[in-house]
Order: sequence, then C-alpha cells, then structure tokens
Amino acid sequence: MSSVPFPLDNTAEDPRRRAPLVLGEQDFTTVTDTVCEIVERRTPPRAWTVAIGVSAGLTLVLFAMLGYLFTTGIGVWGNNIPVAWAFDITNFVFWVGIGHAGTLISAILFLFRQKWRTAINRFAEGMTIFAVICAGLFPLVHVGRPWLAYWLFPVPNQMQMWPQFRSPLLWDVFAVSTYFTVSLLFWYVGMIPDLATLRDRATGTVRQVVYGILALGWRGSGRHWHRFEKAYMLLAALATPLVLSVHSVVSFDFAVSKLPGWHTTIFPPYFVAGAIFGGFAMVLTLLIPVRAILHLEHLITLRHLENMAKIVLATGMMVGYAYAMEFFIAWYGGNPVEGFTFLNRAFGPYGWSYWLMVTCNVVAPQVFWFKRARTTPWAILVVALLVNVGMWFERFVIIVTSLARDFLPSSWGSFVPTPVDLLTLAGSFGLFLTLFLLFLRFGPMIAMAEVKSVMPQGGLELGPHRGHGQYWGEIPHQHEGQHEEEP
Amino acid sequence: MRRGRGVREERGSAGEGPARQGGEAVALSAHGPHTTEPAGYWRSLNELADTPAFREFVAAEFPGLEEELTRGANRRSFLGLMAASLAMAGLASCRWPRELILPYANRPEGTIPGVADRFATAMELLGEGVGLVVTSVDGRPIKVDGNPLHVASLGAATSWAQALVLELYDPDRSTTPLRRDGGQAVAANWDDFDAFAAPHFKRLAESQGAGLAVLGERTSSPTVAAVRQRFAQRFPRASWTVWEPLSRDNERLGARVAFGQPVRAHPQLARADVIVSLDADILGFHPAALAHARAFAARRRAEDRTMNRLLVAESGLSLTGAAADHRVALPPRDLERLVLAVAVELARRGVFLPFPVPGDPAVGERGRRFAALAARELAMARGRGVLLAGPRLAPEVHALVHAINSALGNIGTTVTFTAEPEEERDGPEGLARLASELADGAVETLVILGGNPVYDAPADLAFGERLARCPTTIHLSLYDDETSARCRWHLPRAHTLESWGDVRAWDGTVSIVQPLIAPLYNGRTAAELLARLAGEGGSAHDLVRRTFQEGATEREWEGAWRRALADGFVAGTALPTVRPALDAGRVADAVAALAASPVAGGLAAVFLPDASVLDGRFANNAWLQEVPDPITKLTWDNAALLAPATATRLGVRDGDVVRLSVAGRDLEVAVFALPGMAEDTVGLPLGYGRRRAGKVGTGVGFDTYQLRTLAGFHTASGVSVAKTRRRYPLASTQDHHAIDTIGFAERARRLGELVREGTLATYLADEEFARSRDEHGTKMLPLWQEVRLTGEHQWAMAIDLSACIGCGACQVACQAENNIPVVGKKQVARGREMHWIRVDRYFAGPPEDPRVVFQPVTCQHCENAPCESVCPVAATVHSEEGLNQMVYNRCVGTRYCSNNCPFKVRRFNFFNYAKQLKPVEKMKFNPEVTVRGRGVMEKCTFCVQRIEAARIAARNERRPLRDGEIVPACAQTCPTQAIVFGDLNDPGSRVAALHRHPRSYGMLEELLLKPRNRYLARLRNPAPEGEGA
Repeated sequence: MSSVPFPLDNTAEDPRRRAPLVLGEQDFTTVTDTVCEIVERRTPPRAWTVAIGVSAGLTLVLFAMLGYLFTTGIGVWGNNIPVAWAFDITNFVFWVGIGHAGTLISAILFLFRQKWRTAINRFAEGMTIFAVICAGLFPLVHVGRPWLAYWLFPVPNQMQMWPQFRSPLLWDVFAVSTYFTVSLLFWYVGMIPDLATLRDRATGTVRQVVYGILALGWRGSGRHWHRFEKAYMLLAALATPLVLSVHSVVSFDFAVSKLPGWHTTIFPPYFVAGAIFGGFAMVLTLLIPVRAILHLEHLITLRHLENMAKIVLATGMMVGYAYAMEFFIAWYGGNPVEGFTFLNRAFGPYGWSYWLMVTCNVVAPQVFWFKRARTTPWAILVVALLVNVGMWFERFVIIVTSLARDFLPSSWGSFVPTPVDLLTLAGSFGLFLTLFLLFLRFGPMIAMAEVKSVMPQGGLELGPHRGHGQYWGEIPHQHEGQHEEEP
Repeated sequence: MRRGRGVREERGSAGEGPARQGGEAVALSAHGPHTTEPAGYWRSLNELADTPAFREFVAAEFPGLEEELTRGANRRSFLGLMAASLAMAGLASCRWPRELILPYANRPEGTIPGVADRFATAMELLGEGVGLVVTSVDGRPIKVDGNPLHVASLGAATSWAQALVLELYDPDRSTTPLRRDGGQAVAANWDDFDAFAAPHFKRLAESQGAGLAVLGERTSSPTVAAVRQRFAQRFPRASWTVWEPLSRDNERLGARVAFGQPVRAHPQLARADVIVSLDADILGFHPAALAHARAFAARRRAEDRTMNRLLVAESGLSLTGAAADHRVALPPRDLERLVLAVAVELARRGVFLPFPVPGDPAVGERGRRFAALAARELAMARGRGVLLAGPRLAPEVHALVHAINSALGNIGTTVTFTAEPEEERDGPEGLARLASELADGAVETLVILGGNPVYDAPADLAFGERLARCPTTIHLSLYDDETSARCRWHLPRAHTLESWGDVRAWDGTVSIVQPLIAPLYNGRTAAELLARLAGEGGSAHDLVRRTFQEGATEREWEGAWRRALADGFVAGTALPTVRPALDAGRVADAVAALAASPVAGGLAAVFLPDASVLDGRFANNAWLQEVPDPITKLTWDNAALLAPATATRLGVRDGDVVRLSVAGRDLEVAVFALPGMAEDTVGLPLGYGRRRAGKVGTGVGFDTYQLRTLAGFHTASGVSVAKTRRRYPLASTQDHHAIDTIGFAERARRLGELVREGTLATYLADEEFARSRDEHGTKMLPLWQEVRLTGEHQWAMAIDLSACIGCGACQVACQAENNIPVVGKKQVARGREMHWIRVDRYFAGPPEDPRVVFQPVTCQHCENAPCESVCPVAATVHSEEGLNQMVYNRCVGTRYCSNNCPFKVRRFNFFNYAKQLKPVEKMKFNPEVTVRGRGVMEKCTFCVQRIEAARIAARNERRPLRDGEIVPACAQTCPTQAIVFGDLNDPGSRVAALHRHPRSYGMLEELLLKPRNRYLARLRNPAPEGEGA
C-alpha cells in the first residue's frame, strides 16, 4: 500500500490486510526529516508567524484582563447573586474537558493497542497540557481574593488549618493538579527519544545545550529503551484512570451541590463523555490546519481523521443520550423544582443557548454517519468547530441556567457577560494557542520513534501480537521476556 | 427591656447635654463652632498676616523681609504673600501635624471608651415627632432606633429615621454659609452673615417687618413656636407661610367642616374589628404609622382566635393596601365619590346618617361592590369599626367620613379626637399667595427655613423664577440645593442629630431633641437662626431650655428636664381628648358639593409619597435610595406606575420612556407596570429627579413635581401619554427582568409552598393547615447520623408573616447595624445588592386585583447548611449554638456557598465598596462589625455582635441570659414585631413557643436543611361570603 499515489487515501477497509498508517515513499530518515524540519527550518511558515502574532496578542489581552480583575475585583465580570459562577467556571470546565482527548489518545489508546494513535498522540498530549494550564488558571483567578488562593492547597501554615476536605472544589484542586502532573510527565517522558534526535541533529550551541538537557542524556541504548518503555507504560496505566476521574471530580462540583440542574448522579459519566467528545473536536480543530500547512498528510492520514470523526460521532451520541436522560429523570423523578429547571433550560430565557448546544453537539456530528463527511477534512473541521462551540455552551447552560433560577422565585436573576468576560475567554484561547504554536515550532510535534514503529520498516508487522508502541519489539531477547509477563 | 433601661441609665449624663457631648465632639470636628481655635489657624490671609505669631514666623523664616511681607495689601504684596504662603505650606508639611484629637486625661463620668452609649432624642418629619434612641460610640452616633417608651415609636423606627445617621455624615452637606451674587457662590462664614443680617433686620424691624416674609416647613416644635412669636413681635407686618409638598391640609379642613373646629382624628386600631380605608395609607405614610402598624398587627395573629378585617380602596398600591383583606383599586375620580357609595349602602342597611343621602354615585361596578361590602362590615361592627380617608381626598370626603363614623358610634371608641395643635395650613394655597407676592415685588426679604420650594413647589407657580425677583433671600438647609442656588444666602442647617430642639408627636407628646455630636459643619437650627433674626440670639440649647422652663409646671423643672431627656419625652404633654359635635349642616353641604363635583374622564395622575426619598428630602441618602421600594422593589428610581392592563392598552412595557402631559406640562418618564394599580391611573412617586441633591441623589429618577400644579395637586386628570422610542434601565431587586410565561407559571405554583397563607376560617378549622402540606409532600430521610449541636443556647428566629407589612425598615436597620455597603444602581441592576435581609414581595391572583404577600428572608441558619460543606477553605462553619458563621478572614471568595444556598441570602463583595468612602462617611461604621473588603462573602449573622454583647453583660452580672435580651437589628426596628429571636433551648422563650406554634413552618423543609428560622403562616380575614371585591 505504500505505493498508493497522492492523494493519500488509506481509509478503505480491507479486512485482509491492515491499512497503512504512514503513506508515501517514507523511510525512517524521511520521517525524521519531516518532523525535525519543522523545528529546524530557519524561518517558520508564514501562517505560523501570523497565528502566533494573533495568539500572543490575545494572551496579552488575557493578562491585561487578569490584571484588571486582580486590581478591581470580581465585579468586572458579569457574575452576580444568584449567578455567582458564570464564564469563569464555564471556561474552567471547558478547558479541563479539552484536555481529556490527549490523555485518552496517549494512554487509553496505547493500552488498547490502537496503532493509529502514534501520529497524533504527541500533539494531543501537548494540547492536554496547554488546555489544563488554561483550565487551572480559572479556579485560581475566579476567587474573590486570588492572593489567598493557595489556601485551597493543603499547605502547612501558621493557622494550623487544613482546607475543608468535604468540598468538591478541594477535590478539584487535587484532581486537576494530579492530572496536570501526570500528563506533563507522560508527555515529557514520551518525548525524550525525540528530544535526543533533535539534540543530535542540532547545529547551534543553544539548541544543543537545551535539547541536550531536555533529552536527559538519552543515547538510545537497549537499556535506555527498556527503562523508557517500562516508564511509559506505567505512566500510561497511571494516566488512564485519571481520564475518568478528573472529569468525574469536576462534575462533582455540580453533582454534590443542592442546586436543581446540578444535583444529579448522571454527571460523572456524562461529563467524561462530553470531555472526550470536546477534546477530540479540539484535536481535530487544531490538527486539520496544521496537517495542511506543514504538509503532514502522509503521517497524519485521512484514516487518522476518520477514526477521530468516528469517536466524535460516538461520544456525541453519548452526550445526546445524557441530555435526553436528564430530561427524562427530571420528569420521572417527580421533583417539581428539578422539572422546572429543565423546562426552563429548554424554554426559558436562556433557551437559545440550550438549543445551540443541542444543535452543535448532537445534530452536527450526525453527518459523520457518511463516510464522505468523515474523509473530507474541511467538513470535519466545520463539525469540530461547531462541537467546540457546543461544548462550551453545554457548560454555560449547566452553570448559568441552573443558577439563574433556583428555589426561590424572588431570587431569580440573570447573567449578562461584560466585555471583560468575553475578552478573558478570548484571551484564554490566546494563551492556549500561543503555547501550542510554540510547541509546534520548538518541540517534536509527532512522536517520531513511535511512528517509525508502525512503518513496515519497523518490522512490527511481522509478529503476531505486536502492537504499536510496544517498543520492546525491537530488542528480541527482551521482547520474549516481556511478552511472557503479559497477562 | 434592656433598651428602656439603657435610656434611663443615661439620665444623669444626658442632662449635661452640650457640655459633655460637645466636649467629645471637639475631638472629632476640627472646625466645630465650640472648638477653641488653635493659634495659627487662620480664616483669611489678612487675618493670618496680622497675627503676631505669623510676624514672628516670617521674621524667622525671611529675615529682613518681614516688613515687606506683612505690610497691608497691595497687588505686589498680595502676590508676594501668596508665594510666601505656598512656600510655607510646603515647609509646614515638614513638621509634625497638629494633633487635635486629645486623649482623655480624666475619663468623663459614665463613659467607658469603646462602650456604646444610648441617648434618647427625637426627629421631626413633616411636622410630627418620633422618639428615637441613638447609639453613640466614643462620640459618634452610629445607629438610630425607636424609643420604646415613646408613644409614636414604641421601639420601632422608620427607614427615614434610621437613615439619619447616613445623612449626618453625608459629605455633600453644606459646610459653610454661601453668598451668591449674580449666580456666583462665594464661601462665607457665619460672621459674614451675622454682619449682614444684624443691620438688615434692624432696618426691617424699624419698618415693623414690612416686606419681610418667612417660608417655613411644617413644625410642631414648641420652641420654634415661641421664637416665632417673639419674631412676630419684632416684625409684626412680616408674613409667615408654611409649605409641605405632602400636605395633610385636606384632613384638617375636613375635620373643620365636620365639627366646625380644628380637631385631629386618631384611629384606635387596637379597638377596631373592621377598618375601612379610603386611600388612607395608615401603615405606611401617616404620622402615627408606627403605632398604627403595631396596633394593627396585634390584631392579626389570631392568638385569641379573632382578627381585625381591613378593607382598602385606593388608586396606587400602598402598604396598607397590600395588607388588606379586601382591596379595590379605583381611579381617583371613583375613589373621591366612593364615600358617597358607602353612605348609600349604609343607608340601605338602615343606618341613620345625619345628612341627606344622595342618589347612587357612579363609582363603577367594582367600586359599588366594595362600597356594599364596606357598608355591610361597618354596619355589623358598630362601635367596633372605623372608616378612614387619606390626605389626597377632598376635605368633603373627610367630613363625610367623620359623619359616618359618628353615625356608626365609632367616635370615642375606634376613632378619638384631640385638639389640632397646629391648624396652620401647609398646602399649596399659602405658597401660591407667597409666590404672587414675590411676583408683585411685595417681598423684599424672604427667609426660607428648611424645605426646598424651588424643587417641590407646584410647577405652575414658577417659584424659582419668582424667588429670583426678591432682592434678599436667605435659605437655611442641610444641602446647598435647588432653592439655595436661587437664594442670595445659603446657610447650613444643623442636622437633627447635632441640634437641640423639641417636637410634638402626633398625639401631642413633646420630646426634647438633644444632639449626639457637635455640629460637624457649623450648622444652626431653624430656631437659632430665627432667634438671631428676632434680635435675641442665644444657642439652640438655651432656647429649648427656655421654652421648657416656661412650659414647666413643676418648680423643680431642672429635674423634669433631665427626666425628659432621659426618657425621650415629656410625660403628660399628650393632647387631651375632645368629643367634638358634628355640624350636620356643613356636612350636608359637603355631601352636596361632593355629589355635584364634576367627573373627570381619561387618564389620571396620582402623586404619591415615596417610600425611600419621601418628598425628595432624602434623595441624597444612599441607604434609602438603595433600599427597594416595598411594593415595586425598584431602587434608585421612581417610575410612572401603570396597571398592567393600562400599560398593555397603551402599548408600553417596563422601562419604556413615555411623555406624560398634564395641562400643557410635559415629563418624560419610564413606565413600570405594577399589578394592583387602578386602571386609567398613573402613579407618580414624588421626590426624584433632583437637580442639586448631591453626589448621590442628583439626576436619580424623574422629577414628577414638574407635572404637579395647583389645580392638580394630589391628583390630576386629563393626562395624555405619548410613546417615545427610548428605553430606560430600571434597577429592581426582584424580578430583574420581565418574566417569561413558564417562569410566571412556575412562580405562581411555588408561591403557595414558600409563603403559606390561610384565612382565619381555615386556621380555626385546622390550626396546623400550614404544615399539612408537608405531610403529603416529599419526605427526605437523613443519610447519616446528624450532627448534634451541644451549645448551651440554640439561637433561632421566627417571622410572623401575618404581622409583616413589608415596610422594609428591617433592611435599613440591618444596613446600619452591620456596615452593609451601598452599591449603586448599576450594581443593583446586575444583581449585586448587599442587603442581608430582604423582603420578598409576591403577587398572587389576577394582576388587576392581586394579593400581595411579603416574606422577609435572612440567612436561615440551617442546621444542615449546604453552604458549609462546599466551602473549600472552611470559611463558613457552624457554631455549637446553631449559628451559621461566616469567617471573613478565611474567605477566599469562591462563591460556591452562594451557589449552594437555596435561599440565596449570601452576598458577595464584588468590589471594594469601602474604598471610595470619605473619612467623614467612615464615622458611621459600627465598630462591633467588621467592614468587609472585596472578594469575601457575607450574610446575616443573627447580629452575633449583639448576642456576644448580651452574653458578656450577663456574665459580668453573673446571671443567665434572659429571653428577649438579645434583639437583632431587624427585630428591634420592626414596627409590627413580626421578627422574634431567642434561644430554643429555653422552652419558655418566645421563639421556642413560636417554633412550636401550629402556624409555623420552615421554608424548603423538603431539602432537610433544618432551618433555624421558621415562618408563621400568614392569615387573612376576608369577609365570609366574599361579597364585593
């Protein structure tokens, strides 16, 4: 199949043979060259320069908005009583959700031996890290006195006070910080062989020193590969439960409360499905332009995109099911206050946001039933963008409409965002994209070593039980030992 | 009766009066009149230049130049002097600042620094006095409460009285006399004024006061009356006019018509089984409203298994209307003649009326039904019912009302009469006469003692322009306001809390007004100014004592004086009751006049007193601006109030700006659709749209006085409405936006659960009717063993919805007690008001004839508090005594607690609201309560500082706490005593009894919150067959 000419279509299903995941006349050298060239070329592509200009500008806007917030107070936002959380926590949950796709691709697909993950995992992991940075920002800045936000951490202090362990917000602190730590380690550890490649190819002193330090003295010896693979798998095993736990804990912020519309047991699985859904949409949103601009179609193939589109379709339907079930339970549960909350969500003053959410998250992905849509990058991009919008509005709907009308009609209110709210949201995208673009330019955005393992030259096609990412396959005597330990 | 005791304790020291309080105040007000001016403080450059100290200083600093610098003024030396002054100002700043606050070398007797003192005093509003007790900490008055011993207060205080503290420390109050020549205001001082006034008034005295006019506010002060007499002796030809925009002249005229003599009616609500009010807002806007509310509510609790019945007919929707068992909203034209319909129906029921009964007046079907019901109720309760008429209705209506009460045998039982002590009229006629004199140039000197006629005079008088024609105009007022701007002299008036004075309550009881602090801004009282103009001088203190001494019956008047100061009133000064005889002939004339009065069609305007700013005088008071109107829940604005049906017919909705025209006068005003307004009626609250109120009140709302004319003074007919395309944002604390259909339906569905209501009949049939709902509803069982609270006391509150009239005094009390910030209109519109206690107002039933219910909501101090478990830093925790506590220091401001609070009583500091306060404004703070910074959550504490103060006092006296000893600010000021606080562990406490009461229920009990505040279901007492309204 490696001789299939351009356009590179590897989406045909032929049960007799595996579809190739690297297309074109590729060997190890060309893969290395392709990936490293992005980092090593003297001038970045014009599109990159323009993009980072915009995103860095937005990042500055974010910092300006945060500066205004810190000096003036939460009142610069539209939050009020009863809607004490609005854009702040909406953005937090949105960004945490985005992060999930990365870990899912890296860890769960790794454990499930999904070979196609190799081309996109590094990219998605990077996205995870940056999304979690954006996410982590909001709980810290949304507090009324951000200079005391460290009180949320169990730091020994002169007051001899621990945080209050019954609060889901505290669980958030642990969940998100653990998630960030593990994701960062996972990302970094996986990158070491590729950083070593960059180091070895580097011509300038600065690059040599920086990549040299980052590569931690990697020499590619058998022992190194052995330790590396062990560590990588352990981290994958550690990260896997986090995919489920983090967003479950985030959903506890709502599920544990008394507020109708929040107080519901469906939230943990619903949030996790939504997070994966939103995360994959974000991966697609970023990947499709990057793939086109950096000409990576032979590494990030249509098949990759199609697979992700399928996941978007599947998780989108899960989310749709959750939406339906919320309504069903609100009716079936017989709690009139909860019943009203959902009626109000769909037909109240914020009904438009509810229907926007349903359209984007449930209706739009349905086009992926058609193969043509799944294999047309621009169509995927459009749906992915819609899903991003829809997932942001999902959190907005949950948070704002539930808060706006709770138990006492006298206290019903509404939320109108201020320009600061909107600019902060835009600024968080700026921060995310800036970090992401910097990574594209200065890091190995595709896991070269792993991609090579799924190439025919990698020889992994030969063995009966070898999956991608099983690095021990390259060291026969170790491979046998490892293989026996496999359950 | 801790408060009563507190008042008496001060007897000794309060009598010392100015000496002691002045002594304290010197420390606080650097430029107070009683301050000994320290050397080196100069008033003008000349004065400065002449002092020997200055000469020495110049000699030292500029050797050899002292001659040049201190010589008399020419242009060069003036400039040189200026330069030297500036240079020295810089040098002066290098030195240690002069310390004016001195520590006590010897502690004054009875004063413990940091411990609050309470002083009895009184305030005058629209000429009527209310006794107050003011709490003062280290010389700063910080809290105004009612005087429990005073007949017009009974311990309660209105919002207006409580907001006096904020007015006292208002930085916008005028600080110095101003002289305006050709529109240019020049700061002057009292010496300048006295230097002008002495020869001017001497000259006037020589001409016996020809060309001199005085325009005063209504006042019942015996001292002012006495000084006025002496003033009149010096200026016999001077004219004196009294003007109040909210005049009660019609009542006085009506009584004179009915009885041929000036008498004042006092409804005795405690004795009335049936109260029929024709536009009389006896609970909200009446000189005796507080006493009325107490008496009314005492008959609403059904503890003796009976209740009074209140029937109200009105055009607007007043507090009294909201409390009514039957209410009808009638446009003014029907309302005016409704009394005739009542008379007709009474006659039909065989009541002998002492006047010829006219034919059926046209009052509409609803009016007729109401009249029939009212007549039936009154006829069935002869001697136990009372018919009342409001001050907007014509004198003839009042005369008829008196005649009907007389016919029903109500006089002497449910309505008593005293002599009218101040029969002087204060309506627009007097002002019109003065205005025409001004126009004729007959007035050469006009002294305006308080009031703001340029702003609030009827628009067709063009008072401001006519005022400008008077060569010498002197205006004494708290603020440099609209009238001051048109006067030659503006003089700062001493605030009630800084002046000596006296006043009569509605029943005639005299109170002494004693100062809590030396005047902050050099103000003088009206009596002081008047005395000076009368050529006699003397401080306000001397004047009041002189009046007191002259009126004293005892020889030992000094003792009586001290007792009056300590008690807050002079015992035995109430007016004697009289039994006036009806003048049937004049009543018959009144009936004929009323029946013959023309019927005006079309849209009518009704001018209403405002619950916040009254007539505009409190416009610059931020507490009052921010406290929501009890009925509309609007803050920081008034609006044209329309019945929803009328608004629909006119095609306008809330916030639309319309142009109202009455008799050629236009006003653009925002519309607010208010259920319960009469059809074809525009309710126009007065007192907004001030042009020179101060930083707070200028430009707030719409100046409805612009539509008020002599002919259309209380109500105006022939109003036309034109739509404009503009919209105006109105900030309300409830229903922030027009509600959608599903929200409307859901609110109506939930209302019955949240605010439980029944009639007296339901209650007598099933005392536990309010709880039976819970037994059939969802039950939640605890999932785990519940925490047992082990404190010695278990604090709790009970609020009787049957007693609550929704006045909102509790909100201002809480604001004052707990240092609650004011956030302004924009923030209120965003939903960020900070009141710890709010009064939820709901409408039920059809919008044209709604039932109004009020429900005060504070923190419910849930035993299973949802806010506590979600706080990540443990900033809100439960005390062993059942208080849900907020630890400001620990709060980081996640706001999660508010999200999880089902009652939404938590308030967040979105900004640093205390930051913008000027130093003088910070004097109002209660030192017992933390001033919260930005980013922290706050909420009702059950006034924990008062709990602790009482606990410490009890511990020091080695005795247990007594029930009723701890009174939160809201409960203390509640006119109807609807709020009760106490200890549940004491089975004999009032609150424990109320928690056991069959009417009690907890809000949202199905959430298993176990709130410590329980409500007592509201009872109504509609007429059995519901005949009529």
